[in-house]
Amino acid sequence: MSTPADPVLPPVEPGPIPPLPSGLEAELASLTPVAPRRPHRQLAAILAVSLAWSLALVGLLNVRRDLAELPRLWLVAYVVAWLLGFAVPAFLLVVPRRGEVMPRWVAAAAITGIASVGFIVAGLGLARSGPSSLHRGVSAWAGCLSSGLLAAVVPIALVALAIRGAVPTASRATAAALGACAGALGGFMLHLHCPIADGVHVGVIHGGVAVVAAGVAALTMPRWLAAA
Amino acid sequence: MKAAELMNRYCDGDAQAFRELHMEVAPRLLAYLQAMARSRAVAEDVLQQTFLKVHKARGSYVRGADPVPWMYAIAHRTFLDEVRRRKRAAAPTDDGELPEVAAVITGENAVAAAERRVVDVELTKAALAALAELPEAQRQAVVLTKLDGKSVAEAAEIAGTTPGAMKVRAHRGYAALRRLLRRPA
Repeated sequence: MSTPADPVLPPVEPGPIPPLPSGLEAELASLTPVAPRRPHRQLAAILAVSLAWSLALVGLLNVRRDLAELPRLWLVAYVVAWLLGFAVPAFLLVVPRRGEVMPRWVAAAAITGIASVGFIVAGLGLARSGPSSLHRGVSAWAGCLSSGLLAAVVPIALVALAIRGAVPTASRATAAALGACAGALGGFMLHLHCPIADGVHVGVIHGGVAVVAAGVAALTMPRWLAAA
Repeated sequence: MKAAELMNRYCDGDAQAFRELHMEVAPRLLAYLQAMARSRAVAEDVLQQTFLKVHKARGSYVRGADPVPWMYAIAHRTFLDEVRRRKRAAAPTDDGELPEVAAVITGENAVAAAERRVVDVELTKAALAALAELPEAQRQAVVLTKLDGKSVAEAAEIAGTTPGAMKVRAHRGYAALRRLLRRPA
């Protein structure tokens, strides 16, 4: 048998196509219209409901007592950063490129990865405090982590519902990006709620909410996201 | 874009549009699945499951978008699940199946093709056997980019990886294929 110098593969021509499964034929016989998803509307709803949810949590858990004492620019810059850390990946996950069905998971994963590291580093290095701020380090981690994750639950659920079925592959990376994206909203909520001002607390615990949410989502959601 | 128009009509409840979409896309998906699975039976089974999943997930379609890469991705995911379920990799099947696959890939009966000297069946068999020896990710990259003619970006989207990783896989897969085909029989 001769072997070629260069393996030019022959063009693939399929044989006869098998018939549609009988169950599908039955469904086609009584096919009803479905509304394809509308990504921009979904995104608007997700952003609005998620923001309302996180603000409601801030209201329920109390606004941080040192809020008025903190540098205004720092406070607003952090709010904007947390919200962008949520909204930009949410946009990339929910709104595909024009003419495509699947989400932009590569960009979303890259941005959430960079943002998560950025939030931790910024928390460690740029924390500010006022006279009535608390200094408890990481000892009060459980309350912040759990309430941050609670804030992330709603956006995770909403985005997952919006893109379910559109993520047949790369569903683990998509789930991780989704978790980190929602975790940023948890960080936003904690920024307005938690009066602990130590850099290690803000960086590791508040920033860590995104990391933990990404890990939990990556472990639990891929099959559900990929399912039709 | 014909597939997008058909998908739009299908979502609007037009069953005939689905049948036309099936006729349009199924041959390409079947060719892809055959090259991946090297088993006509597995490829047909996965193809049917794929269209069932497309039907169930049609609500996640975005109007006006090209549904073909999404359908490829569903087929690929279904193929992986099926392989795992059957506890077998897409390794070479028994020899008895090879001529059938070879015939399918050349588009005609293998013996007739040989008689007409259009296709070197031995070469086809060697290429298929070599393809089956590649790791799954490399095989997929070679099948999508070399056999199916997809761009690196399209192949990456279907496989759920980055274009850079897909380029590397395709290059390594093609290089491995070349080495395998040079190997003495």
